[in-house]
Amino acid sequence: MVEDLVISSTGLTKSYGPHVALDALDIEIKSGATGLLGPNGAGKSTFIKTILGLIQITSGDGHVLGLDIRTQGDQIRQRSGYMPEYDALNPNMEAIHQVRYSGELLGMNPTVALNRAHQALEYVGLGEQRYRQVSTFSTGMKQATKLACALIHDPELIIADEPSNGLDAHARNFMLNTLQTTVDSGQRSVLMASHLMEDVERVCSDIVLLHKGKLAAQGRIEDLKAIDKEIEVHVWGHASNMEEELKGSGMDVRREGRVMRIKHRGDESYSDILLAASKAGSQVRRMHDHEASLEDLFLVIMERLGHEVKSSDDLLKGVL
Amino acid sequence: MSESPETPFEPVESKENDTFSTETPVTGKSKMTAAWSSDEGESEGVAAVASLPQGQVFEQNYQPWNGTLNPRWMRNWAILRHHVLGIFRKGHRPWGIPTRLFIFFVILASCTDIALALLASLVGSTELYDMFGVNRNNLYGHVLGFWPRNILYFPVVAALLVGGMISEDRAHGTSALYFSRPISRFDYASMKFLSIAIILFLIIDGTLALYYFSEVLVMGRGWSWIIDTFPMFLGAFLCGILLSFTYTSIGLALSSISRGRFFPAIGLIAILMGTKTMAAIINGLFDKSTLYVISPYDSVAHVCQAIMGIDSSYGELSWTWSLASVIIINGIALYLLATRVSTLEVTRE
Repeated sequence: MVEDLVISSTGLTKSYGPHVALDALDIEIKSGATGLLGPNGAGKSTFIKTILGLIQITSGDGHVLGLDIRTQGDQIRQRSGYMPEYDALNPNMEAIHQVRYSGELLGMNPTVALNRAHQALEYVGLGEQRYRQVSTFSTGMKQATKLACALIHDPELIIADEPSNGLDAHARNFMLNTLQTTVDSGQRSVLMASHLMEDVERVCSDIVLLHKGKLAAQGRIEDLKAIDKEIEVHVWGHASNMEEELKGSGMDVRREGRVMRIKHRGDESYSDILLAASKAGSQVRRMHDHEASLEDLFLVIMERLGHEVKSSDDLLKGVL
Repeated sequence: MSESPETPFEPVESKENDTFSTETPVTGKSKMTAAWSSDEGESEGVAAVASLPQGQVFEQNYQPWNGTLNPRWMRNWAILRHHVLGIFRKGHRPWGIPTRLFIFFVILASCTDIALALLASLVGSTELYDMFGVNRNNLYGHVLGFWPRNILYFPVVAALLVGGMISEDRAHGTSALYFSRPISRFDYASMKFLSIAIILFLIIDGTLALYYFSEVLVMGRGWSWIIDTFPMFLGAFLCGILLSFTYTSIGLALSSISRGRFFPAIGLIAILMGTKTMAAIINGLFDKSTLYVISPYDSVAHVCQAIMGIDSSYGELSWTWSLASVIIINGIALYLLATRVSTLEVTRE
């Protein structure tokens, strides 16, 4: 559904002289939570600046919330909230006034901005600390304040750049819960750039994976995970024979001791495994689907692409 | 995560029935309890307090907002207001205590000519009045002439103001707060410029206006005197604007190339005093006043002497050279400012 797209781009390219930072990106991000993944230098920051309309693209088209990134950057930034990765707060200001000022910079009336700053800080868990100076805050509190700054005008899209960066377990948990609540109860969209796959997996339903400025994969996490679906089998006796039987029947097997992982080929895989076990004289003690984590998926994609980017369709077709 | 009990805090139980219900017999003990609010239970040292269910911190509810965002002028006004009001009020840009104290001191010190003019009028001495009253030289002197105001007060105020103006945005990353909003680089730089220039303008031209109008009020000057002197006042007023503009542009340019507040502040003072000192030394040694064109202060002062119609203190140097110098100095400073502001990052520095 086109109207469901919060961010879309066609052939989006950004070059700095000979260096191509973003290479013909065709991206479609739907409403909800989407993770923006990629190693350092993948082009995540450039992509964020591009969709905020802060830098002019070299070629291609892009739209955020239906607005053109070439000409309507101001409106995009008015309707979205950006939470930077690094410190973006004046350490000598009280949190409430910092958040209020960020609202005023969007065009909010000072009184309204102050009122809304109270709500935003309450929402991010800083209700009791809102009159404290930012310099006295922990990293988690500073991150929460930045999120409050991004949320003050109730934006349709929140762009969170490494929101859990440098947080301890408790603060990280709270930050992720807050983002999830923003998506679930607030019905807002979140684009979350992160290196932490676990965090992305927890909050986001979709991902966009960039590598060297190119699109490596995009789509639902569940669908992408299915690319590498395996069946884990615990056997007793004649494991090596069984491995040979499985390989003989053309199956892709990885074995470590009595545990084997066999690539899922379809529903017939289970009966093929049992047949191979029977032929080898092995007992199958346990057999279940093994689902790769997002981190596994990320590593596999990066490894198998060999830095040669293919479309996500290719990934889903199992061309790898 | 958002699920939580309806009331996070449990109510405190009423103790009324334990003490003074209608059935309570009126005894000596109950009278004592009523009078001293004390009973035997006090010694137990246990108080009933509100308790919080474990793990329940607060109820997190996303609250939507359906308000309207105002246009560009309101956003620019917010930047201006934030910086200018920070001098007087909490909750805006946190200017340091030394800066505020020094501004207060400079305002007071800039009013000394008002006090002296009033003293001259009280004493009734013509000689004293000629020395301190409103005239062409004193109006010029209020803005540019009197030592130490010209060397120590206004340049130091400018240095304290511009010090962290842009450099701290770079250092703290607060530039992201601006540019991730619909604030353009031009709006950002121009509003910061205006904020500093307005504060300087209020100090320099505010006290100038106070000086002029206090004479009108105290000496009971009539329209003819005002018509005679008002062009001079406007000339001095224009000089104040030119001085504020020049100091602000140089100071902000220095602030934009730095990450701290010390370098821009000390750099501004060094440029203003260093060039002036060097030009004065050259003038003293070789009787050549040409080098004054490299001094921002002297260039502005020379132009203002021409505006005010007073004798030039820069020898053979034509004031048009100084005007060209003022334009070039401001042009270079503004170019540097624009170039550096365009490099301020949103995602990282």
